[in-house]
Amino acid sequence: MSGNLLEVKAVRMHFPIHGGVLFRRIATVYAVDGVSFNVKPGETVGVVGESGCGKSTLGKTILRLYDPTGGEVLFEGKDLAKMGRRELREVRKDIQIIFQDPYESLNQTHTVGRIIQEPFVIHGVGTKEWRREEAKKLLKRVGLPESAFDRFPHEFSGGQRQRIGIARSIALKPKLVICDEPVSALDVSIQSQVLNLLLDLQREMGMAYIFIAHDLAVVKHVSDRIAVMYLGKIVEFAAAEDLYKAPRHPYTQALISAIPVPDPTRDLSTKQVLEGDVPSPRNPPSGCSFRTRCRFATERCAKEEPTLADAPNASKGHLVACHYADRLDEALKERAKT
Amino acid sequence: MTTLPLDPLTRKKIHRFRSIKRGYYSAIFLAAAILLSFGAELFVNSRALIVRYEGRFHFPTYGSILPGTTFGLDYRYETKYRELKRKFKAEGRGNWVLLPPAPYNAYENDLTEGIYPPTAPDAGSGHWLGTDSTGRDVLARLVYGFRTAIVFSILLLLCNYTIGVTIGCAMGYFGGKFDLFFQRIIEIWANVPFLYIIIIVASIMIPNFFTLMMIMLFFGWIQMTWYMRTATYKQKSREYVLAARAMGASDPYIIFQHIIPNTISIIVTFMPFSISSGVVVLTSLDYLGFGLPAPTPSWGELLRQGTSNLDALWIVSSVVVSMILLLTMVTFVGEAVREAFDPKKHTVYE
Ligand SMILES: Nc1ncnc2c1ncn2[C@@H]1O[C@H](COP(=O)(O)OP(=O)(O)OP(=O)(O)O)[C@@H](O)[C@H]1O
Ligand code: SF4
Ligand SMILES: [Mg+2]
Repeated sequence: MSGNLLEVKAVRMHFPIHGGVLFRRIATVYAVDGVSFNVKPGETVGVVGESGCGKSTLGKTILRLYDPTGGEVLFEGKDLAKMGRRELREVRKDIQIIFQDPYESLNQTHTVGRIIQEPFVIHGVGTKEWRREEAKKLLKRVGLPESAFDRFPHEFSGGQRQRIGIARSIALKPKLVICDEPVSALDVSIQSQVLNLLLDLQREMGMAYIFIAHDLAVVKHVSDRIAVMYLGKIVEFAAAEDLYKAPRHPYTQALISAIPVPDPTRDLSTKQVLEGDVPSPRNPPSGCSFRTRCRFATERCAKEEPTLADAPNASKGHLVACHYADRLDEALKERAKT
Repeated sequence: MTTLPLDPLTRKKIHRFRSIKRGYYSAIFLAAAILLSFGAELFVNSRALIVRYEGRFHFPTYGSILPGTTFGLDYRYETKYRELKRKFKAEGRGNWVLLPPAPYNAYENDLTEGIYPPTAPDAGSGHWLGTDSTGRDVLARLVYGFRTAIVFSILLLLCNYTIGVTIGCAMGYFGGKFDLFFQRIIEIWANVPFLYIIIIVASIMIPNFFTLMMIMLFFGWIQMTWYMRTATYKQKSREYVLAARAMGASDPYIIFQHIIPNTISIIVTFMPFSISSGVVVLTSLDYLGFGLPAPTPSWGELLRQGTSNLDALWIVSSVVVSMILLLTMVTFVGEAVREAFDPKKHTVYE
């Protein structure tokens, strides 16, 4: 084994759109289209991208809530997509998810106590008393009073509910937690509390996170490495530091320049604004999927799809999918010619 | 945990239901009427409630028949308690008979020489709502007809919902080919003219309570199936279900622990309407003569008699008034339930 906890290899998730009288496939949503990356034990990999670029789908596909159209998801070396029911059930103790909307992800008809004990019940862990005790400990651990046990989710605020969801997801001491925009539904004042809770838990329990967000500023705080997604593909993947300091992909550059930072040393001339809409994942552009909004795009970009590869002259492990990653000025020149 | 705590949403719904007064009171009234109708033998019956004869008490209401000889009469068939009462009174020997307030059953023809039924309501004879064209007590037929109709509707509802919830849930949850298959079946089913089928069946054989129910069940399961399919489909893609799946929960666990509890309000909302439609369908079939076999007391049959004997207005007015009262109250309950359980009113994002 390569020392990776999770290896995602060329994963594709295409949703067929059916319609018409005969219920034929009339279109395909290329929600995730060939994504590869890996996660090491205990690290946090951030995934950023605009709304609709397939982040949640990627998370759900890794969990095999969807059956991937193609590719492999290896967890500790074993392909999740090929696992049988029983094997999958075992692995699910080790991979958990925290959803964006804490109103939606908790069953409103269950008490908080029941919600937190659910992982134990499903996997038949412990006795009744043990589960109750453990659930109470978990409540305390995520900063909720024991009295929450017999109450119902919607007696709590958004932040508190997210804590309930977190308590549930760490109950079985997983090795990997997929956090799908865990704070973006929360008030700004509460966001950092929840983020800190997640970081503390990671330090204590040593689990890895895949941290999904549409906001680079949030991801940068918590992540060791960051994947930038655009239209179902990873366009840049690098250590957080590298990505932030030396972004190579025009899309990443635009995202970073959009972060409002009062940093007088930053060169304002590189400030870029993303124009236009994200193309529909039903009908992605040919060649480089970013070319419709890329200010460097050339003819080559429309014909040839760039692959995610080591960026030239960059630190090790800095991957980028752009024909002109190292020489964007050349692209500009070429553009000027035509 | 001694009591199962009701979640506040459900509590709120129940509270809202109780605050809609006319629905709430209609529900209480209907529940009382249904419960009372199960003990109808105590109120409307040709058998006496209590007979005191030679120092001993007899309670003939339930149980096997007491032959006339029990009370020193000269016949071995069932005692005629109304006559017995008159006899005891005339004798004045301390024997007595306590009759129900309406001392007739739904099947007997109360015929007196020289008087041709239907007879008008008359408190003296105990025919509170008169008799029908064969001399049967209208009140008795109304009460027992109500019981038949309600029992029929409730049983039909239980069967319909059991099938509907099972298939609908499976369709919505498992989707795919299974779903498509049943969708097509339902489309075909829904286009079969239900009344014709019943009329055809009724002209081949005389339907009884159960065959009639089977025929209605044959068509009735569709509605709930369809609603449950949609509801399940919606719940299934919600994140709390995804969370359960991600935890490794099995399909039955998710269906029974998560989806059904969250679709229960749909089931509850449709109940009153199913009951009223059950009553209406049964009554119309009886009215047309395709319903329950002849002597069974039923509102449809009464309605038919009433409309063909319009000079005996008490028949038609009793059944029409009862029908209107029942349907109005069921509608009030249905309205209130819908109002109280409407999910759109409850999704509060504070
Ligand atoms: N079950 C599905 N069937 C068909 N299309 C889907 C399905 N789930 C997602 N999609 C489509 O796939 C694309 C990616 O969706 P996804 O939810 O993964 O985006 P996202 O990056 O998480 O966006 P957001 O930031 O809004 O959460 C969208 O265009 C969406 O409409
Ligand atoms: S490949 Fe071309 S279009 Fe795509 S990001 Fe690079 S320069 Fe822009
Ligand atoms: Mg998402």
